[in-house]
Amino acid sequence: MTAGAGERPILAVEGLGKDFVVERSLLGSPRAILSAVKDVSLTMMPGETLGVVGESGCGKTTLGRLILRLLDPTAGRIRFDGRDITGLSRRGMRALRREIQVVFQDPFSSLNPRLNVRSIIGEPLRNFGFSEKEITRRVGEVMEVVGLQPDTMTRNPHAFSGGQRQRIGIARALALKPRLIVCDEAVSALDVSIQAQILNLLADIQREFDLSLFFISHNLGVIRHVSHRIVVMYLGRVVEIGPEDALFRHPLHPYTRALIAAVPEAEIIEDRQRVPLQGEIPSPITPPPGCPFHTRCPIARERCARDVPDFVEHQPGRWVACFYPGEETPVVTVDRQREAASL
Amino acid sequence: MTTGTPSLLRRAAGSDFLLRFRRNRNAMIGSAIVLVVVLVAILAPFIAPHDPERINMLAIWEPPGSDYLLGTDSLGRDVLSRILFGAQVSLIIAGSVLAVTLTVGVVLGMVAGYFGGWAETLIMRTVDVIFAFPELILAILVAAALGTGTVTVIIALSLVWWPGIARLTRSLVLSVREEMFVDAAIASGTPAWKILVRHLLPNIVSPIIVRASVGVGFIIMAEATLSFLGIGVQEPTPTWGGMIRDGLASLRTDPHLALYTSLALGLTIIGFNMLGDGLRDLLDPKVRDR
Amino acid sequence: MTAASAPTSAPAPGTDANAAAAQQPLLEIDGLTVEFATLRRKVKVLEDVHIQVGKGEIVGLVGESGSGKSVTAMSVMGLLPDTARITGGRIRVGEHEVSAKSKRQLRSLRGRDMAMIFQEPMTSLNPVLTVGFQIAEVVMEHQGAGQGKAMARAAELMKAVGIPDAARRAHDYPHQLSGGMRQRVMIAIAMACQPLLLIADEPTTALDVTIQAQILDLMVSLRDRFGMSILFITHDLGVIAEMADRVCVMYAGQIVEEAPVKEIFTAPAHPYTRLLLRSIPSARHKVDRLETIEGTTPSPHAFPEGCRFHPRCPEMAGRCREPQTFERLNPARQARCWRAREILARLEGSS
Repeated sequence: MTAGAGERPILAVEGLGKDFVVERSLLGSPRAILSAVKDVSLTMMPGETLGVVGESGCGKTTLGRLILRLLDPTAGRIRFDGRDITGLSRRGMRALRREIQVVFQDPFSSLNPRLNVRSIIGEPLRNFGFSEKEITRRVGEVMEVVGLQPDTMTRNPHAFSGGQRQRIGIARALALKPRLIVCDEAVSALDVSIQAQILNLLADIQREFDLSLFFISHNLGVIRHVSHRIVVMYLGRVVEIGPEDALFRHPLHPYTRALIAAVPEAEIIEDRQRVPLQGEIPSPITPPPGCPFHTRCPIARERCARDVPDFVEHQPGRWVACFYPGEETPVVTVDRQREAASL
Repeated sequence: MTTGTPSLLRRAAGSDFLLRFRRNRNAMIGSAIVLVVVLVAILAPFIAPHDPERINMLAIWEPPGSDYLLGTDSLGRDVLSRILFGAQVSLIIAGSVLAVTLTVGVVLGMVAGYFGGWAETLIMRTVDVIFAFPELILAILVAAALGTGTVTVIIALSLVWWPGIARLTRSLVLSVREEMFVDAAIASGTPAWKILVRHLLPNIVSPIIVRASVGVGFIIMAEATLSFLGIGVQEPTPTWGGMIRDGLASLRTDPHLALYTSLALGLTIIGFNMLGDGLRDLLDPKVRDR
Repeated sequence: MTAASAPTSAPAPGTDANAAAAQQPLLEIDGLTVEFATLRRKVKVLEDVHIQVGKGEIVGLVGESGSGKSVTAMSVMGLLPDTARITGGRIRVGEHEVSAKSKRQLRSLRGRDMAMIFQEPMTSLNPVLTVGFQIAEVVMEHQGAGQGKAMARAAELMKAVGIPDAARRAHDYPHQLSGGMRQRVMIAIAMACQPLLLIADEPTTALDVTIQAQILDLMVSLRDRFGMSILFITHDLGVIAEMADRVCVMYAGQIVEEAPVKEIFTAPAHPYTRLLLRSIPSARHKVDRLETIEGTTPSPHAFPEGCRFHPRCPEMAGRCREPQTFERLNPARQARCWRAREILARLEGSS
């Protein structure tokens, strides 16, 4: 996470944590706490796509909301382009809304069904004092960028397909020419063929507008395709960060290995290997002691149940939180289909 | 169709409000009745055959006939004309109460639901306190305290009615507040009041409309009860409640006063209830997609 | 649009399958057409669907949303809403002609000879009943067992599907279990009477990837143990590649391609299948730009004339606007495209 020569990270997060109180005692003191995000540190450089991946309860969505300041952190700092935004009030954040935007997952509930497209895309513009004329012009402009017909701006969301609605959401995020866009599962609710259209679109607009994308997804294929660098999360903590190619070729953390190996691929692979994991993902309310992954880790040892591994730079640009990074893990061959002699 | 319905079938079904409205018996009949009542109330001065307050001691307790279509009451006043003008009174009061309670209830409900904190506590505890009283008793107490008259009735009924609207609004706001488009609005820098007006309000309006249309029936009934008890709008202005009270004493000998007034009252309430039921079927997404 | 009747396809050849080839397929969907009554008119949502599943075979039914795959599954189970009706073709499960049966007759078949598991176990399980009881219900209904015996069997089944500490967890409520556990409970309910056919509609889509792997393993082990056939419905081609013996691809209410799994992934003959495969981002190797399919899936109110994919197809040419029949490419595969042979030859030539 070292900054390039002279270049300032557009986003720097240090020791970030977010606790939710899920149960209080009769007198009001907290009884059960959910640590959705724990001690997360990472940086993002301008113009890069940082992919954040993990399974349920890993905290990636909460992390996105913290960065957007839709939630208040309970620990740590967030710096945007050098400015500390951790403690900013709602009002204080308003000016920054021009620079940090968001695209949500659900194309059906992320757009107000009662408003027309012009109002939806134009809302951020209206909030920052653009005139009606300027709004119409800019909305039309940005609709064209995302591949929508500007003359449809008078329609309501229900007149559009899921893929088109997601384009509307992207257009809204682009309206104010932000520098950073948080994409929270932006393609997860879309059909595969539409997903591909949107992914290509995101790549195009990132190049054209020099955007930084904080891309959250549970889908490793999508993450690999869009990201320059990847953050792997488990149970609220970051377990590994690395450049896309290196991380996928030589994952250091056993969880990363297991995750990559578990993804079914849409091709015939002889002797497909998997890293078998026992058991369920622990509940984030009662996380295991020591390394959060040790209960399912195939190479866990005594130490892992006791101590939490530090997040260290194992090799330049490659960070991992594991006492035995890069170690071989046992594998099994995936063999589900019956043998069929090919014709 | 529930969430388990394949998307292919949902696409095939489509949606079309006017078509469904026409097919919904409740909505059609209900709105027809309501329309008739409203028209009658508006046109009463033009279509009433007699002056509703004109006393004619020579024609008391006339049975329904050619001169007085529905007969006359104890002071020789034309029952039909009094029923028509009574509709005016009922609807004016109901309309005023609705206007007041919707404004107050929705605003307070939105504030409570969106901002929470001490505002919510204050508003919802007030709601709880008012709810603790039986509606009618509270209305009577207020009316007794403020004296009689149209304004008193409106104040009393509004006081009794706004908590229900506030509570409903608050719970609707609590659920819509979690929708992603609200987060998107916050992320776009939209100030809170704009979020309430542009994003929350339009999306909570339907259940409130349903509650209001059923509520009108109750308000009219409550007004009739108050005037039956002698509180509220005073003579010589005709009110349905008052007329029923007058007619009850002579029920065995001259039933026409109580009878026809009760029919008018009953029909009006049924009309509003049916309209409310029909609207609920049409507007509530959970019921609608069956 | 005239429907073409497709010649029956044999199950995949192979050691186990040779025996199956001699028998009738367990599930046979033949020329299935389903219509849906809207306020204005009737709309055909499925047309001329042919699917066969042999004994012990896993057939993948693949398609995007709006393709009709779930409607097909519901037709087999007799779970279509009242507004939808089977207006053509037949469905046979084992010896039973399902399409001809009444609701009551179907109810006795469901859970016994054929069972279904769904995507969202949270909504398919009753939140106010314990999971053990919900499994026991099926046993009581179809096997006439008493509650005590049925609860014991339920605990057995929970153990068989890999739920640890089964006897105790049988008394848990659905919300106390994780997503993966709930799906195992669904599978236990489905397996309670050892059905001949299991229909799985997106069973792992809502699960985490590492849990999904466990559930898929479970399903296969149950197939191996009980010789059950599985119709596996999903939009996820990766899961299909790892699970299915044969694959049927659906688009706009029709089957467009049917082939053994290896062939369909190495040499997809129908343009839709091919474009679909090329639009999936892979975790194994990165490409610069994903291929996309222009346009969107048509709505059942406006299915295109002739080949329903032709407005979006890069291989579109003259005959595409006429009604399409199946082209048989070899004894085990066919595609609903008059250019399929040509495309296949081109693919094989270039490889």
